Amino acid sequence: MGTSVTPLEALGEIEAPIFQTAAFGYASAEEMADVFAGRAPGHVYTRLSNPTTLALERRLTAIEDGIGALATASGMAAIAATSLGLLRPGDEIIAARGIFGGAISFFRNVLGRLNIRAVFVDGADTTQVEASVTDRTRALFVETIGNPAMDVPDLPALARLARARNIPLIVDSTLTTPELVRPGEHGAALVIHSTSKFINGHGTAIGGAVIDTGRFDWSRGPFEDVAAIARKAGAHAFLAHLRSVIARDLGGCPAPQSSFLMLQGLDTLSLRLKVHCENALALARALADDPRVAAVGYPGLASSPHFERAQRLFGERAGAVLTLRLGSLTRAFAFINALKSARRVANLGETHTLVIHPASTIFREYQPEDRLSLGVSDDLVRVSVGLEPFTVILADFRQALASAEKERE
Amino acid sequence: MKLVVNGTDVHVSDGINVSQLLVERKVRLPDMVSVELNETVLQRAEFETAQLHEGDRVELLYFMGGGCGTHAV
Repeated sequence: MGTSVTPLEALGEIEAPIFQTAAFGYASAEEMADVFAGRAPGHVYTRLSNPTTLALERRLTAIEDGIGALATASGMAAIAATSLGLLRPGDEIIAARGIFGGAISFFRNVLGRLNIRAVFVDGADTTQVEASVTDRTRALFVETIGNPAMDVPDLPALARLARARNIPLIVDSTLTTPELVRPGEHGAALVIHSTSKFINGHGTAIGGAVIDTGRFDWSRGPFEDVAAIARKAGAHAFLAHLRSVIARDLGGCPAPQSSFLMLQGLDTLSLRLKVHCENALALARALADDPRVAAVGYPGLASSPHFERAQRLFGERAGAVLTLRLGSLTRAFAFINALKSARRVANLGETHTLVIHPASTIFREYQPEDRLSLGVSDDLVRVSVGLEPFTVILADFRQALASAEKERE
Repeated sequence: MKLVVNGTDVHVSDGINVSQLLVERKVRLPDMVSVELNETVLQRAEFETAQLHEGDRVELLYFMGGGCGTHAV
């Protein structure tokens, strides 16, 4: 596995150049035919591959200790390509209930149109997951930390279950990044990232990725087309399947400049995550002790039902996203509106502290009872804790809570 | 020694392994290549240990997405 940072290394460049080109030229028809046939290496068209993006894929592969990666236009594009690369009409995928609303929507609405059934369960309850597995189940999908459920699945137990049923465990590690956990080390077959979040880190680009950890034997799995490719591509069969059929034909490729921005973000990921997580833990503790806050969801709090599992999987750092319950929709809106430093943004993982009201935004399309079953109550506020000095964040939250208190009066 | 690489006769240094073949043939993007030796796909970890012998048939395949798809399989 090459871990080269630079695609060319021809001019002594120390950062990946941005190959801002749609296509790549060839000297002869024969050379081009060889590349198209896979007999010779080469980039053809940026929808298929690009040197800047390849540099990002190498870095992601290295930090996840995988065997290869495919970068995509967004995290959703990674989920879409992975799902459509595995599932056929009549198949089922079991997904954790408390995950990102966009992923739930894709599983329900897009896969549902293709007669692929998504079964939503409590991802933190392995017994419930196991009870939902049928002969048609072709994959398990969880997030390392459910967003916004703030729950933590038992990755090793789910991996054992998946292995016993000969299906891949797909783990979205967007909220944790390889800084906190490498899902492959716990048996996950595929790792998904929305690189727009902590990997980019600055809110400047949209991107995603799927990394094959090498833990699943595609030659023996229930996916006939991937098994056929395994006869030529070996362990890289699924990525070859994505790269040369599924992702190629779906067209969700990253822009080269976005890939560059993700590479730049990776350089400081370790430093940023350290401060993100320290600030998040301190804020969660302070708010848990504040009588104006009805509940705090954060797996790094000792009072969280997911605390021990988070400690076991992630060590002392439980991510930088937390949720608050403020008693009512009115108070939640008043709190959000009163924040002076934190930003009202539909993103997470940026340098600034970001807040959003999930029920009226990401989960707006769901019926109220449906939202509640997903853990999205009307008084819930999601917070992505940033890198500001902690005293600034805490003062901002306290003044906003004081302002929201007036709504009660 | 003589090998058959992607259907073409090539002369390479005696006693080399697959990793050395990729270097000697100046194969670009070696982390993107799949190698089949005498119709057996090698895992990347085997590149260093797979010794090549006179007359071996080596297929180098790239899944870069061009038009290869499953047609190359």
